[in-house]
Amino acid sequence: MTWRLAALPGLPPLIACLALLGLWEAAARIFAIDGLPPAHEALRQLPAILGDREALLHILDSVRRMAIGCALALAVAVPVGLLMGRSRLVAAFFNPLLMTIYPVPKAALMPIIMLWLGIGDASKTLVIFLGVSLPLIYHSYQGARAVEEKMLWSAAAMGMSPLQRLVRIVLPASLPEIFVGVRTGLVLALITMVTSEMIARQSGVGNILFNSLDMALYDTVYAMIVIIGILGFVLDLGFEKLRARLVAWAEPVHQIAVGTT
Amino acid sequence: MTGRRTSELLVGALPIALLLALWHGIAASGMAPPSLLPAPLAVFSRLVEQLCNPVFLEHAAITLLRLFAGFAIAVVIGVVVGVAATGNRMVEALVKPVVRVLAPVPKIALYPAFILILGFEHASKIALVAADAVFPILLATYQGTSAVEPKLVWSARAAGTPARKVLFTIVLPAALPSVLTGCRIGLVISCIVVFLAEMISSTNGLGHLLVYAARSFHTVDMFVPLIAISLLGLLLNASFNALRARLLVGFPEEW
Repeated sequence: MTWRLAALPGLPPLIACLALLGLWEAAARIFAIDGLPPAHEALRQLPAILGDREALLHILDSVRRMAIGCALALAVAVPVGLLMGRSRLVAAFFNPLLMTIYPVPKAALMPIIMLWLGIGDASKTLVIFLGVSLPLIYHSYQGARAVEEKMLWSAAAMGMSPLQRLVRIVLPASLPEIFVGVRTGLVLALITMVTSEMIARQSGVGNILFNSLDMALYDTVYAMIVIIGILGFVLDLGFEKLRARLVAWAEPVHQIAVGTT
Repeated sequence: MTGRRTSELLVGALPIALLLALWHGIAASGMAPPSLLPAPLAVFSRLVEQLCNPVFLEHAAITLLRLFAGFAIAVVIGVVVGVAATGNRMVEALVKPVVRVLAPVPKIALYPAFILILGFEHASKIALVAADAVFPILLATYQGTSAVEPKLVWSARAAGTPARKVLFTIVLPAALPSVLTGCRIGLVISCIVVFLAEMISSTNGLGHLLVYAARSFHTVDMFVPLIAISLLGLLLNASFNALRARLLVGFPEEW
């Protein structure tokens, strides 16, 4: 029974969503505390939020910052990672630095960066960029390192320049691994986005979420949590589809969805 | 070989030294006032001073308590559910879609809910740490245990080993590398998340110290907790790798 259901893609997650909502509703009714409104009350706020122009603008602001941060990270991190993978010298140059900044909570840099760049878009985009870059560099590095040497030799023998080899062989060959990095990066981008907006409350979803918490609008708090959750799930799903199209030739890489900040 | 290693180490120290020099240069040239960018020496001497300060250490201890409590909960839930999902098709059918939905959700967004339900004290922060760390551990355990060679299990079963003993003597040891990788990722995540949670709402802990310093514009004191938590992350990561090397003699190292 369960396996026939699982054959329909999208159905099991949908059932899981409904089950989670049911659990929430039941818990709210059983415990009956102020801080946990029943699911249906929070969900009733959804159309109100999504219909509100200002709230939509906030959400768009967040998504825009995230997109810019991710795009910048892609542009910088992938070349660096690929070079690290192909050159021992570059790898030796960057590795200790990356290992040192790896455990720094990027969103916690926000108060300091705010001092320099203000509370506007620049500092938030920078924090997102930093958060996304590290896993991207790491995975591009791993991908480029695993490229079959013989292919590079053949390409060199055919007269390809080093740059051509990097773009035409190393990049496509590392693509599956890079996608693992992008997926991790997306999760991180979302976390960093919410946290940075929470610290510098000026606009965005994190701003609505924590302001409504401070104003004790609990229905809105939970509705925003649902919206951010949906945003995360949809991004992940869309990304999986894209990955499946672009690197259909590669075996699905087993990966651990990481959520570092 | 050793010559090559030392030269590689030197090359690696270069960017870090350059960054520190740049930092020192900017601070010393007076381009940035100390209230915006304190000199690196001032920051590090303050860090050393704070590390001998019992009040600071108390904050750090509170952070550590929350970190380890949340991480321990995540390890227990992650490993148990991961093993159960491999061993039982019903559990797998139940767990997989729920994980598929919950794993990509940014857990920090759940923090307001945890505050409202569990209060402003330890419990809400521990819950957030556990929620963030559990998924990498669960996924790694699941991948590790489902990759165990079935023939090993069959042979053991054919030789008359009871199912529980197979779990502890074959499945878990074979999955250990993967489980430990998940735990290491979970540990670094815990370190970061506990700090963020303390920044958002807390009256103690290292994250609170940063926010407190930011409110009173003590820039030097903003850097100190940040460096402290990063050092803590590096330290935990390194000790975990040492533990891993002891437990898994012969397995390749990881970053």
